[in-house]
Amino acid sequence: MLLSLGLLVLPQAAFIWLSLHADLGLGQISDAVTLENYLRVLTDPFYLGSFWLTVHLSAAATLFGLLVGFPAAYALARIGGWIATIILSLILTTSLITVVVKLMGLNIILGSTGLINTSLLALSITSSPVQMINNETGVFIGLVQYTMPLMIVLLFGVVQTIPVEIEEAAAILGATRARTYLRVILPNARAGLLSSGLIAFNMSMGAFTSAVLLGGGRVRTIPVLIQQMIIQNNDYGKGAALSTMLVVFAFLLNLIAGGLLARGGGGQTG
Amino acid sequence: MAVERDWNRRLASKAILAGAVLFLAAPFVVVLGASFDPATGYHVAFPPRGFSLASYAAIPWKYARAAGTSVMVGVIVAVVSTAIGLCAALGLVRGRLIGREALASFFRMPVQIPFVVTGAVFLQFYYQLASLTGVNLLNGLTGLIIAHVFVAVPYSVGAVTAVLSRFDPALEEAAESLGATAWATFRSVTLPIIRPGVLAGLFYAFIVSFGDIPVALFLAPGDRATLPVQIFEDMQFDFKPSMLAVSSLIAVLSLAAILAARELAGFDMVARPAHASAASQPSERTARP
Repeated sequence: MLLSLGLLVLPQAAFIWLSLHADLGLGQISDAVTLENYLRVLTDPFYLGSFWLTVHLSAAATLFGLLVGFPAAYALARIGGWIATIILSLILTTSLITVVVKLMGLNIILGSTGLINTSLLALSITSSPVQMINNETGVFIGLVQYTMPLMIVLLFGVVQTIPVEIEEAAAILGATRARTYLRVILPNARAGLLSSGLIAFNMSMGAFTSAVLLGGGRVRTIPVLIQQMIIQNNDYGKGAALSTMLVVFAFLLNLIAGGLLARGGGGQTG
Repeated sequence: MAVERDWNRRLASKAILAGAVLFLAAPFVVVLGASFDPATGYHVAFPPRGFSLASYAAIPWKYARAAGTSVMVGVIVAVVSTAIGLCAALGLVRGRLIGREALASFFRMPVQIPFVVTGAVFLQFYYQLASLTGVNLLNGLTGLIIAHVFVAVPYSVGAVTAVLSRFDPALEEAAESLGATAWATFRSVTLPIIRPGVLAGLFYAFIVSFGDIPVALFLAPGDRATLPVQIFEDMQFDFKPSMLAVSSLIAVLSLAAILAARELAGFDMVARPAHASAASQPSERTARP
């Protein structure tokens, strides 16, 4: 026991030391130029626009992810057995392979001479290629790709805790399928939906690679701006201010959602 | 309720599931397919117009070098962060500490910070360290490894904690009452039982390190880019079919490694994925990767 306690202190101390230094690093830089940096970031429509862009893309990707992810996880949990295990492993595997490979594939599929556009053109649905990369649509699709595997895995766990018997009870009492879904299944999954959604939203807000490679450098979300500020412009002050804003925003959001979750008490409303 | 009716009733959900799986698998299928196209120019063709290994033969040496860097960094990160994770998990699960919850969330903290921010913060920190002490961690890969450990530790802690909390402490007490020293108990009782958790921790830490782009983009020296960063940069500025070949190799080898890890280590990824347990708190993740 003592051994374990002793062993805990070392890494912990190392991390406090590290995190302190990291914070100091940001603080120091901001101290010298600070208020000006924050002020400039907070009053400049360009940065505010970027912030809004990041938030609304993340929110859209999260909502879409939930809309698709929940039914998918639901079907998977109800199929059950080894088939579900295999499909779930497959889904999880797609998230474990480095994201560049995925993005390269998406680029090929969504590009102007890609699979979708050549099909659309061949079927005469459109007369010119639909622009799906190097814009917000591309980043949106990338974010959905990025967050969906984890979302399905998490929601799978949520659906597993909802006994199939209550659905049967609802059906016996005459509820239609849609009604059962809306009034029985979804309320029971509320807490799970909220926390999975939050994780997906957090991931999207911080997503850098998808935003760069599918936005073609034209979609400047906050993570993209942070990297451009620091690496290309050598503007550490602004980069740090943007970083702090992003982290504080995520932190507050988690706090609020945590409160909501605690108050919702796991969603036992029928 | 007839089984058949039941099956039909969930048809809509199943269709969505099929769509989601197709959507998630498609990029890999396309990359793999296009890598066999005989084209040598910049044009990518899927479905491929023939079968050729030309793009594989054209893989430049820099990717092999980058792969070496990635694997080396990944292995060191996996070992170090799992060692830390093991200690932390032992303390969190066993030690009846005051503020255990706070500590647990402390260890999850790096997961909440976007990778870009982590990269930027460490870069800043290393600059200051260099100006104060003259030690420049950015010259080699040390700086990158430290930052990756920072990011990977929550996953290791999560993986080990998951196994440890199902472990019966009575087994350890039995060993100790039979006269085993604390270390002997740990080595021959505790460790074998939590082995799956430790292996899962190693596995996830490696995955996190190997898959990362933003942190490595900031911290890897220009001539020692990791494999994903090398591909990332070339994708933006200099696309060549050989990159499809490299990506296909990554995908296939990753898949093989994941399957092998499951078989050999016997840990169940699906029941409790480390990043789910590390991230599933409202006070909550990084992967993407």
